[in-house]
Amino acid sequence: MQLFWQSLVNGILVGGIFAVVALGFSLVWGIMNIINLAHGSFVMLGAYTAYVLFSTWHVDPFLSLPVAFVLLYGFGYCIQRFVINFVVRAPILTTFLLTFGLSLLIVNVVLLIFHGDTKGITTQYSGTNFSIGGVTVGWVKVWTLLVALAITALMQAFLTRTKTGRAIRATAMDVDAAQLSGVRVAHLYAVVFGLGAGLAGAAGVLISLSYSLQPSMGDPFVITGFVVCVLGGLGSVQGALLGGLVYGVIEALGSQYIGTGLQDAVALVVLLIVLIFRPRGLLGKATAS
Amino acid sequence: MSLGGITGNVTALRVTVGILVALAFVPLLHNSYYENLGRGILMYATLSLGWNIIGGYTGYVSFGNVVFFGLGTYTSAALWQHWHQQNIALAVVCAMAVGIALALVLGVPILRLRGHYFGIATLGIALATQEIVANVDWLGAGSGFTVRPLEAYSAYYYAMWIVCAASMLATFLIARSKLGYALVAIRENEEAAAVLGVDPTRYKVTAWAISAAMAGAAGAVFAGANAFIDAPTAFALDNNVFPIVMAILGGVGTVAGPLVGALILTAINETLWSHFPQIHTLFFGAVIVLVVMFLPRGLLWLLNLRGGWKGLRASVGAYRA
Repeated sequence: MQLFWQSLVNGILVGGIFAVVALGFSLVWGIMNIINLAHGSFVMLGAYTAYVLFSTWHVDPFLSLPVAFVLLYGFGYCIQRFVINFVVRAPILTTFLLTFGLSLLIVNVVLLIFHGDTKGITTQYSGTNFSIGGVTVGWVKVWTLLVALAITALMQAFLTRTKTGRAIRATAMDVDAAQLSGVRVAHLYAVVFGLGAGLAGAAGVLISLSYSLQPSMGDPFVITGFVVCVLGGLGSVQGALLGGLVYGVIEALGSQYIGTGLQDAVALVVLLIVLIFRPRGLLGKATAS
Repeated sequence: MSLGGITGNVTALRVTVGILVALAFVPLLHNSYYENLGRGILMYATLSLGWNIIGGYTGYVSFGNVVFFGLGTYTSAALWQHWHQQNIALAVVCAMAVGIALALVLGVPILRLRGHYFGIATLGIALATQEIVANVDWLGAGSGFTVRPLEAYSAYYYAMWIVCAASMLATFLIARSKLGYALVAIRENEEAAAVLGVDPTRYKVTAWAISAAMAGAAGAVFAGANAFIDAPTAFALDNNVFPIVMAILGGVGTVAGPLVGALILTAINETLWSHFPQIHTLFFGAVIVLVVMFLPRGLLWLLNLRGGWKGLRASVGAYRA
């Protein structure tokens, strides 16, 4: 029973990271109907940003988080503005392959610069933990979850309270009407993609605190992002959060009781069950088909 | 997007058949480098033709067709390991049967999904199957399988040629049949097709099964020629993505496109390998990005382009934000 509680807590703690990964993925998908296969490489870039800042200037990863967000926002903005916008209205296969190609490019450039060996960030507080009723919890993971929740709340506020946020939601509902009301779609798309990349980068920084770094570390997060979006329903911040936590718990329990080599298989089974029985996600909002 | 009818540009088709016939004579050169290269082209062309049936003609973008290829290689390897069967024809038939069976079982629930959902579900199936196969002891688990190669090594070349030629002929016949028109109707507008009496589920599952049979057959021949199979080789990402890029480069939803794409991309890939082995994958990523940005409808489509330079610029910019 103790193992169960331990897995449950671990799942919730990692679920916060999944939520931030999925938030950016969901935004790009919901607004431009793009499945961003390069999302995982943005996560990796965020983690490497934290690593470089930490190993060069001993910057605490929590302080690198805004830096990674801004850098990746800029990178994502440029990619959308100068590459993806070129074919954004093409059939889905086009953007699918385009982002796949981008992912290959980014991962291999990082591989050239940093080589393939694993890297890690060890802070003074890395090993510290506390325990309640036999369940051991690392402080880093608790802080990670709190930061993840804060990012989610900020994102929700941004989308509902600011002018740009409202323009983003309007574009998600009706591109043509938004354009007629004065939204510059090419620019707005780039902002959305930049936000997606920035959120992925922030998630990458959080991941770098607890896991080792490697150029292909981001690849599994594309599937994670997708499964979480399907679980929570597309295009809602609350959905991404709930989906992230649920998926974190499923994955933790799955690797505890089924086996660690089969995470993708577990993810797929969950995905199929949800798609078949609740095609619009657990929180059930309208989705882009 | 008309490409000169449902089978594609006629001149392109004739030229491609010519290339295919020429490829049949490669083993006569007695050069193992060219033979391996040629068999690679034929294998990728077959995988690309298979993907083209479901992804090109039917418009269901599968990102997991490698699963049929991988299971095909394992069928072939298991026949040798467990029953000492080395007959290529038997391996091909069994691999096709395994592929078709899996496509029928998975097809009914999976093909209800559309667009991105179908794409990611198939990608998930490919990843999950690789994980499962790598954990099954009967299939060699993590350490893999060996397949004793035939003494007449060129037999694998001719087998792959036959598989490729048969896939191309099948695609040509399907495209001109009622099935082909039904698939294109589903791609263009599934609801309208259903209203007009096309049963989408039946046709989609049939298309996926045909696609699976082609990939499975290619896998069965590959296993013998490669002599060794493990999960990372059988379900390699390359074997999943190369065929899609090849179909796009040549022309999606045409008979000639996949072979044209396989020929060009293998040539590019081979050149990159021999000159820049370190940054070869990086270049490949760049090739994908450039092809998708500037040739989203493939090379064969250029043959039907009207209006010269102006027409080209207008078409390339057609999908801008």
